Amino acid sequence: MAIPAVASASETAEVAAAGRRISRAGGGRWVLRKLFGAALTLAFVLVFNFVLFRLMPGDPAKAFLRGRAANPERLIQLRQQLGLGEPLPVQFWRYAMATVSGNLGDSWSMGNRPVTELIAERLWPTVLLSGTSVVLAALIGMWLGARAGWRHGRAFDKLTSGAAIGLYSLPEWWFGLLLLLLFGSTTGLALFPSGGMTDPRGGLNPAVDALYHLVLPCATLTLVYIAEYSLVMRSSVLDERYADYLTTARAKGLRDDQVLSRHALPNALLPTLTLFFMSLGYVVSGAITVETVFSWPGLGYLSYEALSGPDIPLLQGLFLVFSASVILLNLVADLIYPFIDPRVRLA
Amino acid sequence: MSPSGRLTDQSARPRRRLAAVAALAVAALTALALPSGPAAAEDSPSPSVSGSGSGGASAVPEHGRSTFVLGVKQDIDSFNPYMGVVATAYEVYQLVYDYLTGSSASDFSAVPNLAESWETSPDGKVWTYHIRQGVKWSDGQPLTAKDVAYSFQRAKDGEQENAQYAAYVDQISKIEATDANTVVMTTEEPSPSMLRLLVPIVPEHIWRDVPSKKVKEYANDNKPVGSGPFTLTEVKSGQYYRFAANKSYWAGAPKIDELIIRVFTNDEAMANALKKGEIDMLNDVTYGVLESLQNQPGITTSSSKYSGFSEIAYNLGAETIEGKKIGNGNPALTDKQVRLAIDYAIDRKTLLEKVLRGHGSEGSGVIPPIYPNWHWNPGGGARGFDLAKANSTLDAAGYVKGADGIRAKGGTRLELRLFGRDNSEESKKAVEYVRDWLGQIGIKVNVQIMSEDNLTEVIGKGEYDMFQWGWVVEPDPDFQLSVFTCDQRSYTDAGEVAAGWSDSFYCNPAFDALYKKQKTLLDPGQRAEVIKQAQQMLYDDVVYSTIWYYDNPEAYRSDRFTGLQRQPTDGGSFVFQYGTYSYRSVEPVAEKPKDEGTGLGLVLGVAGGVVGAAAVAVLVVALRRRSTADDRE
Repeated sequence: MAIPAVASASETAEVAAAGRRISRAGGGRWVLRKLFGAALTLAFVLVFNFVLFRLMPGDPAKAFLRGRAANPERLIQLRQQLGLGEPLPVQFWRYAMATVSGNLGDSWSMGNRPVTELIAERLWPTVLLSGTSVVLAALIGMWLGARAGWRHGRAFDKLTSGAAIGLYSLPEWWFGLLLLLLFGSTTGLALFPSGGMTDPRGGLNPAVDALYHLVLPCATLTLVYIAEYSLVMRSSVLDERYADYLTTARAKGLRDDQVLSRHALPNALLPTLTLFFMSLGYVVSGAITVETVFSWPGLGYLSYEALSGPDIPLLQGLFLVFSASVILLNLVADLIYPFIDPRVRLA
Repeated sequence: MSPSGRLTDQSARPRRRLAAVAALAVAALTALALPSGPAAAEDSPSPSVSGSGSGGASAVPEHGRSTFVLGVKQDIDSFNPYMGVVATAYEVYQLVYDYLTGSSASDFSAVPNLAESWETSPDGKVWTYHIRQGVKWSDGQPLTAKDVAYSFQRAKDGEQENAQYAAYVDQISKIEATDANTVVMTTEEPSPSMLRLLVPIVPEHIWRDVPSKKVKEYANDNKPVGSGPFTLTEVKSGQYYRFAANKSYWAGAPKIDELIIRVFTNDEAMANALKKGEIDMLNDVTYGVLESLQNQPGITTSSSKYSGFSEIAYNLGAETIEGKKIGNGNPALTDKQVRLAIDYAIDRKTLLEKVLRGHGSEGSGVIPPIYPNWHWNPGGGARGFDLAKANSTLDAAGYVKGADGIRAKGGTRLELRLFGRDNSEESKKAVEYVRDWLGQIGIKVNVQIMSEDNLTEVIGKGEYDMFQWGWVVEPDPDFQLSVFTCDQRSYTDAGEVAAGWSDSFYCNPAFDALYKKQKTLLDPGQRAEVIKQAQQMLYDDVVYSTIWYYDNPEAYRSDRFTGLQRQPTDGGSFVFQYGTYSYRSVEPVAEKPKDEGTGLGLVLGVAGGVVGAAAVAVLVVALRRRSTADDRE
């Protein structure tokens, strides 16, 4: 975003003062409170995760064997190995201790490999896909929303708002399939590959190949997410539109788009930025269905595989990572926020 | 985080903060965008593949290497042959390792593999296998009888190893390599399965360093040493797996240079990849997707015979091995006449045509006709679809229609639950048909659709009346028949009911006797006789209503590859066989240069991406310039 980086001396002083107030007067306590809140939420997630997967029907020992013939002795032995015979509090204590020390257990369906290893392996493709999409959606959404709100009620507004809402209401996987059909298949334009992250046949620089494979899934997510940003941006620009300071700006003789970009936009940006930071938390978990449609080897696809097991330790690990990433990134957003808007620390 | 609504109606705010915001946004963007570099860099192709521009489009790039790409829907769970469970993993074990004996391409009968020949002692309990000489592991070491004995001993002794291969080694009491080329195994009882021991032969000099206790942690995915027709060269979890042909394979070098197994998450994308030539073969798609590939240029589809069947199963009176009644099955189903009437009311022909769309054949015996040596069918004595006969059977058995049109006898009303599976469209449709037909003979059916996990659970506890499911049958019929023995019923473990393999609670001493007898018959002819009798007994007792044998949908690029081999030769599958026939025999079609248009698409796609990125960059620069211009004013 193009944001004017000029401020008057008095304004700068005010910011600096605000910054000091955060760090001195109660800022430390405020940070601690936020940290404590996040830790508490994480602890709750840990308990909830444990209880949820203990409520699932079925015999974990049998699920572990997954259809292999086993005699009763082997089943009993396995239940002992999995610690299933012990009272629930003991099981929980073990689970909590292991989790805290970074051990999420061993997967049942992926050849017994450690869950942390499996998740780490699939994390980057997901971050690449969802991260790019969120950033693109935010940039495009803000731009569209600002223009639409500024020219409220005009053709541009009606067109973009309508399109954004329309796309937003589509299920991601369905829209993904549609794009795949239109741009990735021989029935359509066949411009892009039909899935995966690289073509094992080779022939392309791997980085270019990955980008080439990224286009369709990324476009799917971006187009669906745009409305989140454009609609919020539009309404906040609308709110600012008739403000007195804009009349003043116009009276100074500024062109219309200068009034928008230099005065209205900066003030209207905060809600959208809030939204952006909050969505960062979902970058890790946001693309389950789209990854499945495009065979994208990320965490969403891993969840899908874990579900068809069902692979309880892997699911449990994924749930934990998804929740933890939302909590942690929201915490980061919370901590950054006072620097963007000093009023927040009062809240 | 403060709700955004509270922040919207604020007046002027200093701009410096917004500059900070912009900086943050840029930082976040960079942080998110940067990982693409390293992540993508990992994807460098293995040295064996050179980056030829036409590689994406043709099976035979200019430098003459041929790569066959198979699309699968099931990711490989483990390359460690003691850990993997899914069919794709077993397919890989076959590619990388050899086995003692093989299954013939024509009819699955036992054929030499690493064992060149074998003898049996007169009492049928001592087996002597003569191991092929001159076979080398992929690291150059010779493969000897010691490796074979080691592999079997490990499958017998190791806890996890045994869990994986118990079915093949539990009957063996002694394993011995008497010299470099001879392995002698002794069994407690004569056993016909000694010619079908699907235990992969692993190199002792590698695996002795992997203790049994640590076997679960051994991924075996870094160029594992094997003796099979292919070696694993590259692993991209969730994406693809690359194999190089073993050019000195003892049974002849594969005709392709490289095999890639590529993973897809859905049928449509995989079918699309086949149409575009990104892959050369697929299987395991829905029949609808298979039909969409018919008549596509360059593609040959095949509804290949498969080893699976589906059935409507009945609760024959759930009882544990210890004799405790469990569950809540309708007692009417313990009456054979009721099951017989239901069986008469199931129109297999309609199910085959409407539900399976003709991709299969009507069912009878529980060993599918893909195994002609073991399969039994009633021939002319088959129970056909006959609602009148179904009605009269129920009349004769004393079930009379009440005022509501539902039959009852004594206090027992013929109101039955029928469970279908939520992951199978065929299952959902089939149970609807059955409900309608049974409605016509005065049986009320309540259909319920559930997950397979849930269904497994209720079956084990006997909390069902009828359900629709199926089995995939191995070339050796032993396991499939064992499912109907008394010992496979649920049992009590630590006060709780635990399930065996039985899903009918059938328990018939006469059947158990037949099952035990076939286990000891070494002569295939005599054994087949008993196996057919056992199937007939199941049919006569209506333990299952076997509804169909379903086909395996396969399709491949016949414009590029030829020479795929079916197993059995008569209409069987091309891949996922008992053996590696197709992978070794498939070869590129003779030179026929053709532009698939993929190259053009790629160029356009990349160009489009670049143009898009450039447009964004220009926009950003323009906005920036304009704003600074404003400031300069």
